Amino acid sequence: MSKKFLIGVFDDESALIEAFEKIREKGVKVEEVYTPYPIHEILHGMGKKTHISHAAFFYGLFGAIGILGFMYYAAVIDWPLHFGGKPFNTFPSFIVVSIVATILIVTLATLFTFSVRAKIFPGKAAPIVDVRATNDKFIIVLDRETIAGMESEFDQLFRSHGASEVYEKE
Amino acid sequence: MYKTEIRGKLIDGDKSMDQISREILAPIDAKTPKWWYAAITVSLILFGWGIYSIYITLTQGIGTWGVNNTVGWGWAIINFVWWIGIGHAGTAFSIFLLILRQKWRTAINRAAEAMTVVAVGCAALFPLLHMGRPWLFFFIFPYPNTRGPLWVNFNSPLFWDFVAISAYLLISASFWYFGMVPDFATIRDTTKSKIKKAVYGFFAFGWTGSTKEWLRYEGLAFVLGGIAAVLVVSVHSIVSTDFAVSVEPGWHTTIFPPYFVVGAIFSGFAMVLTLVVLMRKLYRMENFITDSHVDAVCRILIFISLIMGTAYITEIFIAWYSGSPYEMFTFFHNRITGEYALQFWGMFIFNALVPQLFWFKTVRKRLWVVFIISLLINWGMWFERFNIVVTSLSKNYLPANWAEYHPTFIEIGMFVGTLGMFAFGVLLFFRYIPMIAISEIKMVSKFDKPQVVPHKEKSHE
Repeated sequence: MSKKFLIGVFDDESALIEAFEKIREKGVKVEEVYTPYPIHEILHGMGKKTHISHAAFFYGLFGAIGILGFMYYAAVIDWPLHFGGKPFNTFPSFIVVSIVATILIVTLATLFTFSVRAKIFPGKAAPIVDVRATNDKFIIVLDRETIAGMESEFDQLFRSHGASEVYEKE
Repeated sequence: MYKTEIRGKLIDGDKSMDQISREILAPIDAKTPKWWYAAITVSLILFGWGIYSIYITLTQGIGTWGVNNTVGWGWAIINFVWWIGIGHAGTAFSIFLLILRQKWRTAINRAAEAMTVVAVGCAALFPLLHMGRPWLFFFIFPYPNTRGPLWVNFNSPLFWDFVAISAYLLISASFWYFGMVPDFATIRDTTKSKIKKAVYGFFAFGWTGSTKEWLRYEGLAFVLGGIAAVLVVSVHSIVSTDFAVSVEPGWHTTIFPPYFVVGAIFSGFAMVLTLVVLMRKLYRMENFITDSHVDAVCRILIFISLIMGTAYITEIFIAWYSGSPYEMFTFFHNRITGEYALQFWGMFIFNALVPQLFWFKTVRKRLWVVFIISLLINWGMWFERFNIVVTSLSKNYLPANWAEYHPTFIEIGMFVGTLGMFAFGVLLFFRYIPMIAISEIKMVSKFDKPQVVPHKEKSHE
């Protein structure tokens, strides 16, 4: 059985935030909010957290250790060569490559994590709720089941907070 | 919080968000203008000359260039450094101005990043072809091979350079691309053409604008922004070590890394100015790229130009102060005077003196003057690299080794070819990609309007 949704369409950010906070005060879980640009009040209010920066830190840590380890292995253990009387383990000049290659690893791995976690990849068909959400409308989606019996109340709430449109969708 | 009363509006015309999308996307939906076809034909002809030169270089070798045993690095390395410098604009704009919380960057950063990707692509061609046997370029990659395995020399700046350039290209391309994903979704959802819907829909990665996506998008932008900030200073520092590590008069100095980085940002900003003035004029983006945007870039250029002038004078002073006869000869007899004096004074006048005209408001207000000055800076920065590469090599320690250097038709062709390649890439960008970051502009456009709800917490960007 497909879920039914109550959808409120807002024209501007402040009306959206106001309605969003009213809904949260009532203790109802907001299914999803679609906006043309990130709004921190909403991202914060949805209660989700991202650990992408922690992930990036560990990619960087292991990346840097891996690269330094590789250069040490190549230059000291596997095939030691004399370069102008320098020691085999020329640590200071390994730092340069380590920094740059670590940044590359962090970038690529974080991008990949982003793609996996946000479920975004080339050619994915977008599950569009309201096509105007990427242009100029702010959309709040409520699950009909969580507000069972209170539909008209939420309809009223949306409208009284400046929703330009309220409709239902499966 | 951005205060419009104090800092002025970020975009003009009091636009609705729908209007912002439509106006920025207009060039993609509109019929391709005639000048575009003319421009792309010219760029392809120039690019063709470049392809011919590359063909000759590949089939006949480096002997077709004007380089010789003494001046082993000619136009190829000059152009390499020049293009990489221009390629610093994208990260400098997106990251430095992000760190400095300059909201006005939103109208320009997309174009700057696009330019970066094309410019770094152009730059990468030169060291590749300078290898002599470019089909063996993968030897520079440290992979387990059957020759030992014989690893590369991790102490060599040339290897650092390879890592830095390839990382920079990949990172700036992905940074640029992920910034565009929400805008591709906007095209997908607003266009009427079925083909565009399918193509941009593919590249939009299924973006819907949900909180799940925005939350991680912001996290990603934070990580990439933070980490790419290092690249703004690291890439050209590494390029400078190609010179500074070798024992050549005029190269072997500690000023090189900062001098190169500042020069790179200088030429990057100048090229952004060139491009943005064109973009604004050709696509009538005056409401997004306002006079105050151009004004801000000009003011930055005054400041960087002062640093450049200081660096030039410092170099000359240190050459004298070092007491080294070779240093003094290079600076006083082979740069300030001598057969390459033209390039030295071109560099000094175009980079250190001409941008000082931006102190005058009348100059900053006249777009054609700004455009010409930006071109002169680009030219001056090319002279700077000529000055560094050729003057030091042509006459160093042993007079018996002194040689002159003149570029051949093939070398000139390669440079002109990359100019064509750059123009070609930028024209494709103008035509097929939203040239201003739509979602970011929408975000800053709200600052122009009175805020109804007092924000409880300050957003950090």
